[in-house]
Amino acid sequence: MAIDTGILINVGFYVSFSIVFAILALGFNLQWGYTGIFNAGIAGFFLIGAYTAAIAITPPTPPSPGYPGHLGGYQLPIAAGAILAMLVSGLTAIAIALPTLRLRADYLAIATLAFAEVVRTVAINLEPVTAGTIGIIGIPRLFTFSGTNSALFTTGTVVGVGAVIILVLFVVLHFIVESPWGRVLRAVREDEEATMAVGKNTFWFKLQVFAIGGALMGLAGWFFVMALPYLEPAGDFAPAVTFSIWVMVIVGGAGNLKGSIAGAFLVYGLEWSSVQLKDLAPDALSPSIPYIRLMIVGALLIVLIIYRPEGILREKKRVLR
Amino acid sequence: MNATAGAPPILSVQRVRKSFGGIRAVDDCSLSINAQSITGLIGPNGAGKSTLFNIIAGLYRPDAGAIWLAGRRIDGLPPYEIVHRGLTKTWQIPHELRNLTVLENLLLGAKRNSGEHLLNVLLLSGAVRSDEKQWRARAREVLRLTELDGLANEHAKALSGGQKKLLELARALMTDPAIVLLDEPVAGVNPRLAGNLMDLIERLRQGGRTFFLIEHDMNVVMNRCDRVIVMHQGHAIAEGTPASVKANPLVIESYLGG
Amino acid sequence: MAIPPEPESLSAWTVARGGRGLFHLTRRTRRQLLRGGVACLAFVGLNALLAARFGVSILNYTIAGLSVSSIVIVSAIGLTLIYGIRGFANFAHGDIIALGAYVALFVNLNGLSLIWGTIAAFAVLALFGILFELVIFSRLEGRGPVPPIVASVGLGLIIQNGIRTLATTRPWLYPVPAYSDIPIAPGLGVNPIRHILTPAIGLLFVVSAHILLTYTNLGKAMRATADNLELAKATGIDTKRVTYATWAISCSFASTAGVLLGLTSFLRPEMGLNILLLIFAAVIVGGVGSPWGAVLGGLVIGLSQEMSAPLFIWLGQPDVIGLVNASAYKVAIPFIILIVVLILRPWGIAGRPPAFVSRVYFVERITQAILSRTAKAEQADGDDGG
Repeated sequence: MAIDTGILINVGFYVSFSIVFAILALGFNLQWGYTGIFNAGIAGFFLIGAYTAAIAITPPTPPSPGYPGHLGGYQLPIAAGAILAMLVSGLTAIAIALPTLRLRADYLAIATLAFAEVVRTVAINLEPVTAGTIGIIGIPRLFTFSGTNSALFTTGTVVGVGAVIILVLFVVLHFIVESPWGRVLRAVREDEEATMAVGKNTFWFKLQVFAIGGALMGLAGWFFVMALPYLEPAGDFAPAVTFSIWVMVIVGGAGNLKGSIAGAFLVYGLEWSSVQLKDLAPDALSPSIPYIRLMIVGALLIVLIIYRPEGILREKKRVLR
Repeated sequence: MNATAGAPPILSVQRVRKSFGGIRAVDDCSLSINAQSITGLIGPNGAGKSTLFNIIAGLYRPDAGAIWLAGRRIDGLPPYEIVHRGLTKTWQIPHELRNLTVLENLLLGAKRNSGEHLLNVLLLSGAVRSDEKQWRARAREVLRLTELDGLANEHAKALSGGQKKLLELARALMTDPAIVLLDEPVAGVNPRLAGNLMDLIERLRQGGRTFFLIEHDMNVVMNRCDRVIVMHQGHAIAEGTPASVKANPLVIESYLGG
Repeated sequence: MAIPPEPESLSAWTVARGGRGLFHLTRRTRRQLLRGGVACLAFVGLNALLAARFGVSILNYTIAGLSVSSIVIVSAIGLTLIYGIRGFANFAHGDIIALGAYVALFVNLNGLSLIWGTIAAFAVLALFGILFELVIFSRLEGRGPVPPIVASVGLGLIIQNGIRTLATTRPWLYPVPAYSDIPIAPGLGVNPIRHILTPAIGLLFVVSAHILLTYTNLGKAMRATADNLELAKATGIDTKRVTYATWAISCSFASTAGVLLGLTSFLRPEMGLNILLLIFAAVIVGGVGSPWGAVLGGLVIGLSQEMSAPLFIWLGQPDVIGLVNASAYKVAIPFIILIVVLILRPWGIAGRPPAFVSRVYFVERITQAILSRTAKAEQADGDDGG
């Protein structure tokens, strides 16, 4: 064996988490990049999807000393977990959208950020359902292998399934945003009033997009528990996740699907390599590396929004015959 | 204020009121528009003309009063519903969709385009394609009419001010309206283009459409409009042929004294 | 700071605002005072009722609520001023609060007392505020509400993680002697710092903000700019200077709020983010851009959050529903109030409805249907009667 499987597994993790972020970024790009709906609660929809999936598919976990147990034990098929995650996140998005979507973007941002923080607080504290900060463990894998290299195979299958999901999402989303339906979305982004005055029910379009975006974030939650069969609410669903998605979409270009995927791989690559670098860095510096990374993310947000708001890959002009 | 000789007015505004924070922008305003006419709406700045247009088009909700379009009541309906019933408006400052091409701007005006329903897009792609093809042909036609066909695939933001005005009109025409409310259609447009634009409006009127326009350019009002309505401090204070309005002492007073 | 607006134009502006200046006893102000009096009486009555039913120790929650409200109000005044003048929600405000707390700590650790630390933080944060506008936000003027929000999130990330890098993530504590509660009644006590000093400083800031905004030229110029930027420019107000001054005041207020917040428990880098949502809720509930609205909103949010705690504790009892960690859910209360306000009155309690509110037609249709039905029913009743 020439290649160390440890490195391969590590790269596999990088790819599968990049896919998680890519799905999130696609959902947010549909909302903001195409339709102009600014969502600051990505982490909330992501969390709801992850917990819905985990609770649906995990076998019963009897409470033991030191483990409070959690809602679940339904042992549904993994695919059903994905569908449920999308459904619950999408319906939550509709519930949030109904009172807030008519308001200006800043009100929507505040309301969604508050929503995400409340959801996270509930997930941390509602121990009978979520097992609190201890988290849900023993989430089934997509495929199980035994013997040597089983970890490598498991990671490999996650990456493979993720790649298929990204490909399918890209094709379907590309098809619908390039349709007349998608044209209305871009019109809403440019000028909602004018779009209404040419006969479009803009609220209905915004509602659809917010729900689809929410469902995609739910799907990302499901894929997250596929990539990491362990779920804990405190760190993985903090507002910083939302902000990272913004960077990914702005880097990749609002209104550009390929850009969102590339942005996810690029920006998560920054995070992943910072973790890898931690071992190489001098001891005095190494604990600060994650913070320095987040400072870079912050600086990127500021610089990009000032100097390159349309992203690195611009939205293409649609030339029609 | 009834229409001439039996034909019912296509648009009728009855005692409409709207206040913003204690200021009455439109105050007890009543007027009616004959079908297939070009009617001008004039008045000093702040008379409430644009507010009235926004109310008629459904963008603002009137505090009181009724609006009838071809015999059906439309006040309180959402703007898209009013567009579907055959009334559309343009803006004084063009509301072009900046990062969409001219052709895309027009295609948005398409009514009941099957491709604008997500399920159709996913399940009936054949029907969507043929629908879209028809609408593109129609959009090309309107572009030829408004002489924008050379710019079909340019971003709307790249157009000149006058071309944006044309685009506004073209997009409004795509909704196949019975009546179009034009908010200062030739303001800031060079005289040659303005002349062409008014010629086009005249031709479209002969084709059966009605136009109701706010205009400050007295040349346009006097030479192109069949009837003129004068608004002052939220009321319609006078109406008639351009010549009679010009001679009306009330109008002269409101313009000079107001 | 002498910002010289023409006196006539300012008085014209006051007239144009329909005498909305506070403590000018117009009919509107009198009505507001009356409403405020009624609300105060109702609040006192509610507390009396609670104390009679559950014993005086329940008033501890009210006192805690007033303390939280004070911190929220001091921060919210600063946030709402920026919101009013620059037209965007500053998502970095929470982290600016944390920065203020840490600057005071830094000065304190270098040998000066905490009072000097607070004063130093006040001055340093004013400079930071001017810097933020100069370097970042002035470049985003006229770009709508979203780009400055994105930039402010970036700024918040830099501040928060800068603190983590420089001050480490360990929870710091201000070296203040631990005063014990002063008992007022059996089971009811007040802490000299949390329950007396904090509300007192809160009140001091509210009064100074009121004096600043009502009686100084700068304050009047700030209100004029927030009310109508173009009109303010036209009347000769240097709106750029007003904007910088507002940033300085906003961040200075935030620094003191940070010290007060730090006195309640430990200093942590994420301390600002946790209180940011309370501040946003207070600003929106009160009405964006209105300092008195921020005071009102802060009271509503702080009191309702703290006073809901006994309710959750009750829910946590095994014979009720046995909610685990019940008191943690009190943070959901401000969110619920926020959503209710966004549905019913998105311009806030003290705000003015805008000329053009984007409408939700299906809601209108439902209300219309209900209204027309009741109208018909009334008509039918009338016919019967006639």
